[in-house]
Amino acid sequence: MSDFLKGTYTVDKEIVDETAKATIAKDEFKKKALNSIGGSMVFVEREKYVWDGDEEGK
Amino acid sequence: MDFDGLVNDITDIGYEWHKDLIVQNSANNVPYMDETLKALNHPGADKTDSAIVISAGPSLHYNDSLSLLAASDYNGTIVAIDGSYVKCLKAGVIPDYVITLDPHPTRIVRWFGDLDFEKNMAGDDYFSRQDLDMDFRENSLRQNQENIELVNRYAGQSKLIIASTAPANLVQRARQAGFDMYWWMPLVDNPDSAGSLTRKMYNLTKLPAINTGGNVGTAAWVFAQFWLKIKNIAVVGMDLGYRQDLPYNMTQGYPELVQMLGAENVGSDLFPVIENPDSGEAYYTDPTYFWYRKNTLDLIANSGATLYNCTGGGILFGDGVIAMTLQQFLSEHG
Repeated sequence: MSDFLKGTYTVDKEIVDETAKATIAKDEFKKKALNSIGGSMVFVEREKYVWDGDEEGK
Repeated sequence: MDFDGLVNDITDIGYEWHKDLIVQNSANNVPYMDETLKALNHPGADKTDSAIVISAGPSLHYNDSLSLLAASDYNGTIVAIDGSYVKCLKAGVIPDYVITLDPHPTRIVRWFGDLDFEKNMAGDDYFSRQDLDMDFRENSLRQNQENIELVNRYAGQSKLIIASTAPANLVQRARQAGFDMYWWMPLVDNPDSAGSLTRKMYNLTKLPAINTGGNVGTAAWVFAQFWLKIKNIAVVGMDLGYRQDLPYNMTQGYPELVQMLGAENVGSDLFPVIENPDSGEAYYTDPTYFWYRKNTLDLIANSGATLYNCTGGGILFGDGVIAMTLQQFLSEHG
């Protein structure tokens, strides 16, 4: 159906998707929030202190 | 969300935020990894008896710890973190090692004097919320230029312990300043677990990995304790808390907490006051600093190590932490 609705003209005015812009801004906002709150580095491992893959299995 | 809930979520928040960037930065930095920690000569006898880790909390400024250290004849090892390095130089303390970890693309290079200062600081008030140093708070072009010159003058006298996760502008700045650079990578998760970020970074870099506790101050302690194998390690400037007269909006994560939770939900319950039984003084903390504290105490407890806390305040106390004055540590280990 969409093919039938396709125009043979061009629109002078640029169409701006405000919803998409708002979503991007919201994502940026969230990213900035995560930045400081999430600490300087990922920290999951609480048992090992140093690790050298070369020594695996030794 | 309450304080405990937020603290419990920080591990996942940090994972989501950093997971792509730390692997990407590690890949990008491979061409510059001329030396690794393995090439680092272990310190001589005097230097392995004791070390002082200089973190960048507000007590460093208010307690004037660096002046005391500069005036002493301390000949142990000095490990500065990136955020305290320039302050060390200004006080006449030249660290043996400077360690950097955070992959932030625009902020971290600031600690070494930023050649793109105006561009990187546009719209970012992070440094004006640094309680550490009025010079950084002022955040001026003049201060930045002075820092560039200071770092250029002294970079050759300290070894830069640089994480694979460092941002490109910091790597270039460190090379330009003339540091001897020794590379490592953060041990962030179990390398044998499925999808391990540690394993991904190792496959790219083949670097030795060091645990960080999620922050560069704790990483500096782990480096001194478990890589350099120094016997007695003190920390200064490791507050992980704020003086009670500091407004909440001057804390490091405040704007982000507001963004995340809404201003109406960011109140005193997210900034609990904790009394330090060693000093008898009370400080307030925030979720991220409290998470750092928990991580650091876990690493200390799980290793059976001892950390001498010469901060003179803050909230780092617990099993394995012995509070003493810096003067006392210097007299016993200087």
